[in-house]
Amino acid sequence: MSKPVSRREFLNLIGASGGSAAVLTATSALGLLPTTAAAASLDLLNPGSSKRQVAILGAGISGLTAAYELTKAGYDCVVLEASHRAGGRIFTVRSGDLIDEIGNRQYCEFDDEPHMYFNAGAARIPSTHRNLLHYTKELGVELEIFINECKNAYVQDDNMLGGKPIRNIEYTTHARGFMADIMAKSLSGIELDEPFTEQESETLLGMIRSFGDLNEDNLYTGSLRAGYASGGFLHHGVQKDMIAFRDLLKTDLGRLLLNANEGDTGPVLLQPKGGMDMTIQAFVANLGDRVKFRSAVTAVQVKEQGVDVVYEQEGVRHKIEADYCFNCIPTHLMAGIEHNFPAEYVSAMKYVRRGEAFKAAFQAKTRFWEDEDIYGGGSWLNSPIQEIWYPPHGIHKAKGVILGAYDYGGRAGLMNLSQEERIELCLAEGEKVHPDYRSLVEKPITIAWHRMNHMLGCSARWSRNRGQGWTHEEETMYHTLQKPVNGRHYFIGDQISMHSAWQESAIMSAHWALADMDKQARATA
Amino acid sequence: MSVNRIVVFAISLLFSAAILSAEEIAREPYNDRYCMTCHGVDGRGNEGVQAPRLAGMPAWYLQRQLKNFRAGIRGTHPQDIEGLAMQPMAAKLSDESIADIVAWVGSWETIAAERTIEGDAARGRNFYSACALCHGDNAEGNEAMGAPALAGQNDWYLLTQLKNFMAGYRGSHAEDIYGAQMRSMVNTLRNEAGIINVVAYINTLPR
Repeated sequence: MSKPVSRREFLNLIGASGGSAAVLTATSALGLLPTTAAAASLDLLNPGSSKRQVAILGAGISGLTAAYELTKAGYDCVVLEASHRAGGRIFTVRSGDLIDEIGNRQYCEFDDEPHMYFNAGAARIPSTHRNLLHYTKELGVELEIFINECKNAYVQDDNMLGGKPIRNIEYTTHARGFMADIMAKSLSGIELDEPFTEQESETLLGMIRSFGDLNEDNLYTGSLRAGYASGGFLHHGVQKDMIAFRDLLKTDLGRLLLNANEGDTGPVLLQPKGGMDMTIQAFVANLGDRVKFRSAVTAVQVKEQGVDVVYEQEGVRHKIEADYCFNCIPTHLMAGIEHNFPAEYVSAMKYVRRGEAFKAAFQAKTRFWEDEDIYGGGSWLNSPIQEIWYPPHGIHKAKGVILGAYDYGGRAGLMNLSQEERIELCLAEGEKVHPDYRSLVEKPITIAWHRMNHMLGCSARWSRNRGQGWTHEEETMYHTLQKPVNGRHYFIGDQISMHSAWQESAIMSAHWALADMDKQARATA
Repeated sequence: MSVNRIVVFAISLLFSAAILSAEEIAREPYNDRYCMTCHGVDGRGNEGVQAPRLAGMPAWYLQRQLKNFRAGIRGTHPQDIEGLAMQPMAAKLSDESIADIVAWVGSWETIAAERTIEGDAARGRNFYSACALCHGDNAEGNEAMGAPALAGQNDWYLLTQLKNFMAGYRGSHAEDIYGAQMRSMVNTLRNEAGIINVVAYINTLPR
């Protein structure tokens, strides 16, 4: 560090200018720690003998939530789903399943065993996502812990240490050590200005030392935390050689490594036993034949007293005259369906960008990662595949399904390649971390979410200024789309949230719409 | 069920059993009729994903473009964003699928696309005289010249394609005969303003 931290900067850092409570509030407002309301306590008014009919467009989790709650309250619901399956981007791929990517259809050839599945879309449930957890509990969906990080997984970048992979624990231990070393030096300078009491300084220095495993001179000289070169049990552990900070700075991956387990993806995360779609399956079982598959909506007409919906099933068009309509069809697809939405609605629909995301998976012939002390978590690569995830379920069984790539957009490459090219790239990159990778994995599947039939996108992207937050205009358009048309048609789904890509957001958007509808229903009851 | 249908049913069962395992029979079937996901209900076009109107496009033109996409003659230039999205879809199509799709598209009702682009239609009209030689005075298209109808097409699509022709993102492939003709003609529009004006003029034609 050539430039020391000034006292003023440091005061800002410790929150002294606004008080640390202000800093906490700001953190929450920035969406780092989204606060969710208490779990669903929807008390929808029973429509009584009028048996009001509701058309729900799309069997994504927001549509299913709406159908489930409305059916419970006594409404007559029908869910129209264009594809052969429910769940949208909650998609667990198992033996024999069709992956209906346009121009790249695949059938999954994994072994037919309960633990041999791949969550191709949603894969993690944060413990703060109360509404989703509420439904898993209510529907009897068994949960287990999802392991998001294994410190023994790898970090690999062609630019770092000649491309040799190192363990996450080595990278993060050294990175923290060096950073703590710098922090301790900064603190000793600031101490002279006395922004802290002696006790506070001591406490802070203790934290810094512990954070980085500094020695008694507050210097970082390596740490046993990075793993033992030898020994550690029956003999004293021998510390591994340090890696120079300069070498660690040859990669940008540090940014990901140090925040991968914070915020939404911080411990503890959960997953349904047997696949993320267990929640979807439970909703669908509950709703029975109210869910109509292979039923594509072709027209939506909002009227004075309801919504007419036309859909096509097996080449025949049917019309539903519903009292209300809840619509989780992606806005970019709805733009190609006949409708009579108001102009400001349409311009908002056209504004939202469809997200891109790509995942690949392999069946592993053996759980080779477990022989390398890896259980769950994932390796990080500075390459188009970005991540390799090791399944936290099925531990010590013969085989497992691993994630072979996870690209959430913004990078060139993977998603626009042919299936053969995608697989080759996954294998070639995977080999950099696990030398025998190519011979250890088989039966690949790949999914480019922006090319999936009936979806054509991953999570909606409202903000166009990446990292700079929403503009006022974007917020206005968002609120426009959230509001009902004529009090009868509601857009729902994670696309109508400020935190897309999470199941919780989709559920909460449905709850918002249901509560709004209920308010009207009560006013006119 | 008539006797004939029972026989056909029994034969088809035998046939399926011969080539498919029990597990495979249970698999979700598919066909190549994917068009509406991107191109909108009844191929009306979808600005949301920049996929043009198909309904009303003549069969010979659809067939030629699908085959061009399939062969990589169209949709392989790295700057042809929309073409790149289409190309892998077409790459998988058999001749039978192409014939099926073209016939299917032909069964859709043609609804003129919404006008979204404004420009100087009067200036555009002057430019259009060169276009009319192939595409017709009313942009109704001319099979003999290999020129598709333009009237009633999504104007944002015409804009993108004309820009792509001008930049060489479309029509540069050595085997794209008609694309090469368009490449040579599009320069009469001079620049983006010329393109917008000619599209504005096409928007005024009967549709």
